[in-house]
Amino acid sequence: MPEEKIEKKPGVCIPWEEKNKEYEDIKGDKELVKKVWEDIDNMAYIYIWFCLIAA
Amino acid sequence: MAEDMEKLYNERLERYVTAMNNEKPDKVPIRPFVAEFVAKYAGYTCQEVTHDFNLAFDAVQKFAKDFDVDAVVGNMVYVWTGMTEANSTKYYRVPGIDLEADESFQYIEPQDEDVAHMRADEYDALIDDPTAFLANVWMPRIMKDSSKGDYRSNLAWLKGGIAMMQYFAGFGVQGEALKNGSGTVSAIAGALKAPCDILADKLRGYRQLSADFFRRPDKVIAACEALRPHMMYNAYATADPTKTVPITVWLHRGCAPFMSYQAYEKFYWPTLKQIIIDLFEMGWQVLFYAEGDWDKNLKYTAELPDRSIIYHVDRGDIFEVHKAVGDKFCLSGGIPNDLLTYGTPDDVRAICKKIIDGVAKDGGYIMDAGAIVQQDAKIENVRAMVEFTREYGVY
Repeated sequence: MPEEKIEKKPGVCIPWEEKNKEYEDIKGDKELVKKVWEDIDNMAYIYIWFCLIAA
Repeated sequence: MAEDMEKLYNERLERYVTAMNNEKPDKVPIRPFVAEFVAKYAGYTCQEVTHDFNLAFDAVQKFAKDFDVDAVVGNMVYVWTGMTEANSTKYYRVPGIDLEADESFQYIEPQDEDVAHMRADEYDALIDDPTAFLANVWMPRIMKDSSKGDYRSNLAWLKGGIAMMQYFAGFGVQGEALKNGSGTVSAIAGALKAPCDILADKLRGYRQLSADFFRRPDKVIAACEALRPHMMYNAYATADPTKTVPITVWLHRGCAPFMSYQAYEKFYWPTLKQIIIDLFEMGWQVLFYAEGDWDKNLKYTAELPDRSIIYHVDRGDIFEVHKAVGDKFCLSGGIPNDLLTYGTPDDVRAICKKIIDGVAKDGGYIMDAGAIVQQDAKIENVRAMVEFTREYGVY
């Protein structure tokens, strides 16, 4: 069965839901890992779109 | 911040915001979009202000200290070629590298299908996942080094991202320097283009897009719709979080003769209109920077909610625009750039008087040139525009 595609919302390059599947188990603070992942992922998104829109 | 500087800043901010709300402030606000002009004024070359944003910031600060203006853009030389060289962008001609040091940068748009940054058969890939398309197809295609898939390619991506972060951080510092150093407001924030302009400028190229209007119209409409939420997101993610100053949409190919009214109505306007309405509902005004002559499109612009935009007039007839939409929106601009280059200070004072008398009587007008002011403008003419407006434009 093909894997369900996770929609990329504006502001996202690699959704946390997709990245999270790669972790077998997060032993500590999962929300912290999620937040930092999303913050940096958002910067990558802004960079790609900034190149298109304004550079 | 010194008390007198803070007072000056607050007066200017209130003047600027009042006018943008289409109301009458104490004086006509002055908000010149000075680009390479500041290099000429501060004694830099175009290469210096285009390639080193700190020199551009310095030049804007010198201008803001010496000219009694209410608001400026922190750096109106909008492409930092240090960044575009770091990520090996193909499509610019850079002053001091490809051009003489005192020429302004140029964008080279692909003119044929075989060199288009997005091919005709790639619409579905863009529509399906715009961000993935940009990362996997568009970026490698517009970067000199990325197609090599090697050390240079990997570093080009890395260096481009680092450069952007450096530039963004610099803008924050520049805003504070303008506020504290000369009491000047940073006029705009946020990156926005119309989806159809993105297709024309950076993806398909204008010639190819014009053919697509007839050969694959449904794909063009779907692509504009797919780009719309991303244009929207990028606009508010980079906007002024206090929602005080507007987000500028730089309008390129929507006006005649680039596009027929039928094409505008079908392809260009629906997504642009929705973005402006959505941003306004979120609390942001949009500076509708109508490059060229947009007078014939006024019936569409008039559909927007009152005060949702500041309508900037370039080569249109500002008096006709005022008649048509002056009761709905604040206007800005209208001073012909060729007059700033070839005219005399008396010519400039005369047109400023005519515009203030004809358009600004009830408020809702911001003094500026029609287009960004580059190195060809005479310093005495820009000075005449600013000094005359300050003296005559008092309510």
